[in-house]
Parts: sequence; C-alpha cells; structure tokens
Amino acid sequence: MLPSQRKRKITISSLSFLFGFSFFPRRPLAMDLMHHSSTFLLPTIPSDHRPSLTYALVVLNQNLPRFTPLLWKHAQLRLCADGGANRVYDEMPRLFPQEDASDVRRSRYKPDVIKGDMDSIRTEVLDFYTSLGTEIIDKSHDQDTTDLHKCVTYIRDFAPDLDKSNLCILVAGALGGRFDHEMGNLNVLCRFSSLRIVLLSDDSLIHLLPRTHHHEIHILSSIEGPHCGLMPIGMPSSSSTTTGLQWDLNETEMRFGGLISTSNIVTGEKVTVRSDSDLLWTISIKKL
Amino acid sequence: MPRLFPQEDASDVRRRYKPDVIKGDMDSIRTEVLDFYTTLGTEIIDKSHDQDTTDLHKCVTYIRDFAPDLDKSNLCILVAGALGGRFDHEMGNLNVLCRFSSLRIVLLSDDSLIHLLPRTHHHEIHILSSIEGPHCGLIPIGMPSSSSTTTGLQWDLNETEMRFGGLISTSNIVTGEKVTVQSDSDLLWTISIKKL
Repeated sequence: MLPSQRKRKITISSLSFLFGFSFFPRRPLAMDLMHHSSTFLLPTIPSDHRPSLTYALVVLNQNLPRFTPLLWKHAQLRLCADGGANRVYDEMPRLFPQEDASDVRRSRYKPDVIKGDMDSIRTEVLDFYTSLGTEIIDKSHDQDTTDLHKCVTYIRDFAPDLDKSNLCILVAGALGGRFDHEMGNLNVLCRFSSLRIVLLSDDSLIHLLPRTHHHEIHILSSIEGPHCGLMPIGMPSSSSTTTGLQWDLNETEMRFGGLISTSNIVTGEKVTVRSDSDLLWTISIKKL
Repeated sequence: MPRLFPQEDASDVRRRYKPDVIKGDMDSIRTEVLDFYTTLGTEIIDKSHDQDTTDLHKCVTYIRDFAPDLDKSNLCILVAGALGGRFDHEMGNLNVLCRFSSLRIVLLSDDSLIHLLPRTHHHEIHILSSIEGPHCGLIPIGMPSSSSTTTGLQWDLNETEMRFGGLISTSNIVTGEKVTVQSDSDLLWTISIKKL
C-alpha cells in the first residue's frame, strides 16, 4: 500500500524512514534533548547532578515565596527588580523570626544588583542597600521593557564573573498581584526562549519548553507535583506528544479556545514532551 | 464571608450568603460545608465523573444551558477568585473565557479584572476611575494579532502587531474615561482594581 493510501497522517520524517533517504530538506529525526529538574528547590544540589547549572536569582515585587532563602543560597548572582528590594528588606527577616533582622538584611541577604525603573523601591530601602555596596542600575528612562526584562538582559549581557554557559535564571514572586505584570513575566520567557528562566511562586513553577528540543523533565516528587499542565502560549500547537502524565498527549492539537492541558497529573519520575510549538510547563510546588 | 463581617453573627452571615448551586467534581468541598448548604436547600450538582472540563467550565455551562428563571439575553458571568493559586488553574480559567467567547465572563481577583474582547466586535470600555485603573493591558491570548488599534491609552496601539515572544501591551495606563479597541484577534483586556 502506498503511503498516500494510508489513513494516518504522513509526515516528512516517516517518508524519510520508508525511502531510506530524503527527498525533502532534512529534518532531524532525533532533536537535541533538553533536561529539566527542580534541583534548585532541594536543600543541597547533588554534586554529580547534570546538567550542572549556574543559577541567578531575580526577586520581583510580590510576597516572597517561602523557599526564597533556598534559591538565594543556590544562586551566584542575586538581583532585585525595583520593588523586589522592598520585599527582601521587609520579608527576609520574617522568614527568620528567631534571628536579628538587621543581621539577616546586612550579612546574609544583600542583593548584588537592584535594577529597574525605580518607581516602587522605597527611599530608605534604596539608601540601605546603596550603603552596603549593592550596585544600583537606574533604568527609569526605559519604559519599553518590564523590570524583569531589564534584569534578564543584565544577567545575559553584563554580569561579570558569572559562568553563563549553563545559566538558569530563577524568578521569585513572578505570579500573583496584577495580571498584566504576570503576563509580562510570561512574555519574558517567550522573548528569551534560548535562556533557561523559571518563574516561581509559592504554589507553582513555570518554564518554557522550546519547540526546538525534545524535553525530559525529571520530577522530584518530594517537592513538586502531582498537578501539572502544558499550555501553548501565544500560538496554537498542532501536535504535542508526552509520556509520564495521567492524560498524555499523542500528537494532540492544543490551543486557547480549545484543549489545553491543565489539572493533569505526573505519574512517575519522568515526563517527556515534544511539540511543534513553544509550550509552557507548569507544576505545583508542595507545601512542606 | 463571616470574616468580611466581623461585627455580625457568623451563622447569620452564612445564611445571608447561601449559594443557589454548588457544582463541580466535589473533590475540594469539605463534608460539613456540603451538609450545611444541602440542609439550607442549595442545589448540589455532582459532576465528579467528568474529568474533561474544569469546575469553572461546568458552572458556565450550567448558567448558559440550565439555569431556570434567569434572563440570559444580556448575561454577564462574574468569577470571583479566578487568579492566584495554581498557575494551571489560572490558565484553565483564561481558557474558559476563550471557549465561551460569545458570553460575557469577567474574571476577578483583589488586584485585577480580566475579560475577553472578541475580534468580532469593536469595543468601548468605559473606565470608572474611582474603582479601577490606571494600570491596564491587552494580551493576544492563544494567537498572535497582526493588527490592533486603540484609543484612550498612554501607549496606544496603531495597527500594531502583538504576540507572545514579541510585543504585548502590559503596564499600560488609561488616560481618560473611555478606551476603544479593535483587533483582528481575540484579546484579553485587564485593568487593575483599586484598593479602597
């Protein structure tokens, strides 16, 4: 039976398999694999863990997630986006109620950089960190990009002494608050789709799964799950395929206005995803 | 509800705020709460067998298809508690706006209000500045928009292309009492709600 007589959808890769060579521009049958895991939520990252990532932390102007001290510990560079500095100043001491607030602020949780348009940071907070030596980068003239966008650009283009070959940017306080801010933060994931950026709140973690790769997501069930979702952000996806979910996708079409995968469940230690479109992956974070 | 009326008797408040219907897959409602409202006469619709749609979707379907004694010719569904919490729930709620694009549905949280501006219409949004704004945004959810045009915003769009990965309108500002929007694509409108 000729391929064209079959009912199933003919793809370029299956024709290549049948003929043993390609009439068509070659499309790789095996895309590069990209691994993901939430080891930054573990108290200690195993030294043999691969890939070995360099973490940078950006704190936004929302209630600090309760695990922010852990993110701070794993990060080699810590930035506050404008009013995120107010949050570190006010809320870090509250996460350590037994300790001296001044100590917590000065010695342990001093940001390396505060960047943004400076319309939210309180004057006394700005003065406090300036006197401690935090680098202040005032971008109030730039109204075209969000504070998070400015921080990501800084990390990618300017941060000295940071090994950027395997960079992962953690963003605390990315959800909640004003909805347009939240959408702006999601858009930063899409605009910097070649960077690993993870948006974090107390309840959820979100990152992009770019269409250029197959994805393996390693689930740390002590800290995350089981609720998860896959969303086609910005553009419909004609074909997505997964393994490891209670309701797996199988060359399934997804779009807003139709099917998107929410309230799904991870069934084991590994989820794989491939898609013709950039997808957002989200998983719930356990309250410990 | 009782906590919003701390001076009043909790039991009294609960009876004042008795839901007409409780619908969903019933995996979150506490037993004593379910019993309480059942005895008061609230209609309980258990859809635990249906795992294909979210609880909000089930409620919107109920309102659209089943609710008796409701004038549906000019219906607007208000959704409280639509944002925050699990991100996948939030996206599921946004998707309900998109799936029922011919219905007026408004998602509400303490900070923001969101509703769909379907591409089938030009839109006039009347701003009540005592209760909302000035921060607002327009988001091409689900598909890029090749052309959107607005009036009444600090950074108006003028046949502007919008898409995730490129430009979307966030941290915009309403400049007066009226905003107009037209687009070739469904857009989400969001505006901040003032803390009074």
